Amino acid sequence: MFFIYSLLALALLTALIFAVPLRAKAWTALALVGVGALRLAAEAVGVLADGTTHRLWTTPGTLFGGDSGSLDPLSALFVVLIAVGSVASLLYSRGYLRHTLAHKSSVHVSLHYTALATMCYAMLGVVCSDGGYSFLFCWELMTVASFLLILYDAERREVVRAALSYLIMMHIGFALLVVGFVRLHAATGSADFAALADCFAAQPALPLFTVFLLGFGMKAGLFPMHVWLPEAHPAAPSHVSALMSGVMIKTGVYGILRTTAALGELPVLRTAGFVLLFAGLATGLWGAILAAAQNDVKRLLAYSSIENIGIVLIGVGVAALGKSTGNQPMALCGIAGALLHTLNHSFFKSLLFFGAGNILSQTHSTSLDALGGLAKHMPLTAILSLTGAAAICALPPLNGFVSELLIYLGLFDGIASGSDPLASAAALAGLALIGGIVLLAFTKLCGTVFLGAPRTHCVAEAQEVDNGRIAAMALPLAGILLVGLFPRAATAAVVRAAGFFLPWPSDAVGLTLWPTLSAAGRTAWLVIAVVGLLVWLRRRALRGRTVAEGPTWGCGFTAVNTRMQYTGESFSEGLESIAAHLTQNRIEGCTVDKGEIFPAAHNFGIRRKDRIDRLFSAWWVELLRQINMRAMRLRTGKINHYLLFALAFLGLVFLLSILNLL
Amino acid sequence: MALFTTLLLLAAALAIPGLIARTRACLAGRKGIRFAQHLYDVRLQLRKGAVYSTTVSALFRTAPSVYLASAIVAALMIPVGDLRPAIAFDGDLVAFAYTLALGRFALVLAAMDTGSPFEGMGASREALYGALVEPGLMLTAATLALVSGYTSFARIFAADATGDLQLAVLLLLVAYILVRILFTESGRVPVDDPRTHLELTMIHEVMCLDYAGVDMAMIKIAGWLKSAALAMLAANAVAAPLGGRWWIAAPLSVLLAGLSIGVVESTQARNKLVRNTTFILIIAAMAALVFFAAYLLRLNIIVLE
Repeated sequence: MFFIYSLLALALLTALIFAVPLRAKAWTALALVGVGALRLAAEAVGVLADGTTHRLWTTPGTLFGGDSGSLDPLSALFVVLIAVGSVASLLYSRGYLRHTLAHKSSVHVSLHYTALATMCYAMLGVVCSDGGYSFLFCWELMTVASFLLILYDAERREVVRAALSYLIMMHIGFALLVVGFVRLHAATGSADFAALADCFAAQPALPLFTVFLLGFGMKAGLFPMHVWLPEAHPAAPSHVSALMSGVMIKTGVYGILRTTAALGELPVLRTAGFVLLFAGLATGLWGAILAAAQNDVKRLLAYSSIENIGIVLIGVGVAALGKSTGNQPMALCGIAGALLHTLNHSFFKSLLFFGAGNILSQTHSTSLDALGGLAKHMPLTAILSLTGAAAICALPPLNGFVSELLIYLGLFDGIASGSDPLASAAALAGLALIGGIVLLAFTKLCGTVFLGAPRTHCVAEAQEVDNGRIAAMALPLAGILLVGLFPRAATAAVVRAAGFFLPWPSDAVGLTLWPTLSAAGRTAWLVIAVVGLLVWLRRRALRGRTVAEGPTWGCGFTAVNTRMQYTGESFSEGLESIAAHLTQNRIEGCTVDKGEIFPAAHNFGIRRKDRIDRLFSAWWVELLRQINMRAMRLRTGKINHYLLFALAFLGLVFLLSILNLL
Repeated sequence: MALFTTLLLLAAALAIPGLIARTRACLAGRKGIRFAQHLYDVRLQLRKGAVYSTTVSALFRTAPSVYLASAIVAALMIPVGDLRPAIAFDGDLVAFAYTLALGRFALVLAAMDTGSPFEGMGASREALYGALVEPGLMLTAATLALVSGYTSFARIFAADATGDLQLAVLLLLVAYILVRILFTESGRVPVDDPRTHLELTMIHEVMCLDYAGVDMAMIKIAGWLKSAALAMLAANAVAAPLGGRWWIAAPLSVLLAGLSIGVVESTQARNKLVRNTTFILIIAAMAALVFFAAYLLRLNIIVLE
């Protein structure tokens, strides 16, 4: 029945959005999503406050067996995340798509908004389903809706390409999930997540766990299945990138969390913990290094999403290791850190993608080396994006710091208590390196886009965007500040949700965390207070003195121009020289030769491609082509040859049957 | 108590640059400038006005405040021997590293804000070396956590470490690594050279080319505080086996930083830029090695007699 109701609701949704006039479509979609999402979010907040489970729907005995949905604290946390992300994204879409309305047909726009609304509800359905076929139904609905969303600018060739490769990769993941759920159903008679624990207990758990990990990992962007992310995000409109990167990939994390929580046997859990920890490290490092190498705002942000998923998985791995060794604080810190980082990432990544959208719509470029000095033309966008960048670098006093601190605490617990010192230390060093490289990537992004002097004329005409879009950006900003400045309250909600993972009452274990988080909160306020004090002192000191303006000091060289500015490419050159073998570079033009005393005009462009791309496209396509070439030799076009083949085939059958092989 | 710790750290921060200058003068056979010359210089800068580039945005004017604030807050987390610091909580090791990163973030962006190729170069290098030094710092913190069982600087250095030879050796190694991190983080030879200005291989100084007056003074003070915080950590590690009293740790930090930086700057040349990466990765590798040694000692596989 759930499916029938869903399809009816979908039809109604479509009818409504298609019926209203062009200008009102955004508001209609926002109202349709806002009502449902906010109502569910209100219920979710209640669930997080008291820790109970609310039943949402139960449909017994339909075609695929019983299906039900409920809202437990884990689902509630994701519902809040999805609701905030969806509403912000829809709010942003209005201003962002306004200039495209003129040359898109009404049907096109309606389809986009229908897909957007469907996507929001499908994601809510995914995290509320108890599992089984309603989960798969919502999952598939989400994939198809997001496919349509990427296709908004379908007249561009690369968009269609990216969307198709996204669709194919998602369906490989979907096939894995179907295999997983069918195996689950066969083993226990139920395809719910609740039955997973029995299934893992009854048979060797690791194969099924791996199937689920790969299936969900495809959506989450787990290394090496992340290749769709940096292709799909630049192709999609910015509010869709924000929704997909900030919210949708988190459903993959949700699936991994549910699966890992069901692992009961300690040795298996330990193995799973190591797998998750090192998968997270690989994902995080790969994402961070590739993010630093990108020269396109949206590709950089896409790689940074991969890196953040890596950090979340490190947290989950820490939690699994802690649980398997009975180290309660380690397990709690790991899982709370992972959940909080999931929430945090949805805030700052939505904010940053909205910022990228503002840049794209005002300057018509997302290439780092075409921008520069935007802070003067778009001050609000610059401040908001800068805050998002500082948050994603996990700098105090913002929210990223709180969640990474929790994961670090889990790792340090593993070291100090001696339960897992080597793995924890490896993850610690990796996480520290990731943090440093992310700082490089985002100083590169902000430094070349917002600061300095404009590199091309397209910046000069840029103006600040409309207030609607700024309001949409304020929503995730509020989340960033709330979590960053009140870490204790935020973590309390997350610890409630972490209960599903821990065999111990999480509130009791959480007691050890509160003093730390209160102190972290005080430190955050202290940083703000000291900065404020120093800014005030400096202003006071400069009052009445000569404050002059002049050109940038060029160390005695007076003909400095903007072409000599450090570009994004040169900023990350040092890192790239270390990590050159991770990327495959496509160079256009040539550099100035050392022997050229009077350099002529040169054109130089470089595009850093992921080496893993080859794994998914290049080498087997090439192999297939070669095999095909060989097979093509048989197709001679002469009837006598074909008759000969038929004879040979009959002969083969005859021979095989004589030898009793057929 | 916390106030006294802070004052001691501040005193160390003010004394270290003087001792470095004095050491270098002695080794070069000069009489040298007076001990407090750097304080007079900063006082002069604090009285000046400012000239800003027309390219910069408001971020450039705020960055020195953020940089100094980050150094102040980070320094407040450092204990002096057995004295508790103003901020102490489980995991302040992480907060220390990330608060310093906040300052780096601000200064790197400020350098990019000028649009100058020189400062962009400095910013790029600072961001890279800052990233590469993080694992070493974190692994050193992990070693401290492993040998003491605590995750807060205050508790680690308050723990009794006397009479344990193995621990003393480990802590000496930790101090050695911390001094090398100090060289990197405070922009000293062999990674960087604060004396030269028109050398393209510079990092910290070139980032501050467009700063003068009050802003430059703030950046300088922040640098002193940062050096003192790292030097105090190294001194604490050395002092812990000797009883870890504050009156050992505080003078030791000044001597350790002042003498090591002074001697290295007088006797060594700056690295070629490509060697810097290796230099910093060696720190991380040593930190990993020391951590592994600490782990083996903990397992009682090898015993030092």
